[in-house]
Amino acid sequence: MSDREIDLQLVERVRQGDQRAFGILVEKYQRKLIRLLSRMVRDQHEIEDIAQEAFIKAYRALPQFRGDAAFYTWLYRIAVNTAKNYLSSRGRAMQTVSDQAMNDDDEPDERLVAQEIGNPETELLSKQVAIAINQAVDDLPEELRQAITLREIEGLSYEEIAETMACPIGTVRSRIFRAREAISAKLRPILGTPEDRRW
Amino acid sequence: MTLHALTQQTMQPQAEPEDLQGQTLSALIDGELSDDMAQRSIKQLGQSAGERARIAEYLAIGDALRGLNAQPSDFTRRVMAALENEPVVLAPVPKASNRRPALWLAAATMAAITWGLWQSGPRDDVNVPLAALQQPASQSVEAQPYLAAHQDFAQAVISAPEMHFSKASLEVRQ
Repeated sequence: MSDREIDLQLVERVRQGDQRAFGILVEKYQRKLIRLLSRMVRDQHEIEDIAQEAFIKAYRALPQFRGDAAFYTWLYRIAVNTAKNYLSSRGRAMQTVSDQAMNDDDEPDERLVAQEIGNPETELLSKQVAIAINQAVDDLPEELRQAITLREIEGLSYEEIAETMACPIGTVRSRIFRAREAISAKLRPILGTPEDRRW
Repeated sequence: MTLHALTQQTMQPQAEPEDLQGQTLSALIDGELSDDMAQRSIKQLGQSAGERARIAEYLAIGDALRGLNAQPSDFTRRVMAALENEPVVLAPVPKASNRRPALWLAAATMAAITWGLWQSGPRDDVNVPLAALQQPASQSVEAQPYLAAHQDFAQAVISAPEMHFSKASLEVRQ
């Protein structure tokens, strides 16, 4: 089942009354959405407020979502309109033209992202987490590091990774899982999360 | 045991049940599960806070590696808290999760099409069951919701393979 189909399945679960399925969609797309909104709005608190409102509007509009576009594309359009309305109600213009963030296929272009603007504390913690994650990846055994990098950064499928690494797909699945668990374990002390809890 | 089989066994150590569950979640977010397994996993996520937390961590790790802010926040919690005041979204949709319709659905569609042809006028070349021919005109009113419902299913069968999420329509088309 593809990523897009998973989103459609989650939407279907929400429509069957499972609100928690929407939480997974929020978890999946919040960072991406916030980063793209930061191109339009300067203030970090406002960005998060707009992102929250966008998710709530998306939730309300789920009965109208037909799956013609990818869920994230649909969500992004809601977020852009929310940002425009939010700012115009305060007599302000967008920081940049939101259309620039869309590519020729009218999809949000991941390459057109701005620097995140936040307060010094949050920026410091973000940097610490990013450094810690990259350090944790560097500390992984070679085969785990290669697998997680090919998956998360290069975006290869398991089949492609298996071909690249000359190993079975089951091994790829296991390595990626073990890499994720190892990184999570390394981050817990930094985030102050107890050993038996998740972040 | 051949060397190849031994190598395979070594490369794929038997995982503990909890690790298998973790592997399943890990594969889920990568879009690498079969449709059945993915649907089961997604359904289970609604019942397990631990699994949702694990998924959240994996997603954050991926975002961080791609340069997005992975700083844990309570953003999701705030959104979900806001949604607690929202009515639960319920949208009746036809179950069209399988791309190939079940045999009964195809039979129902054919029955609907045959009924529609019969309704449009008597035709000698249409093989209509005698019982249907003998039905008085007054019963056509009762049959209309049945026909309309199956027209919707017929639309789902004939239309593009993607799942449609529009509300099921029971309008009677004149």
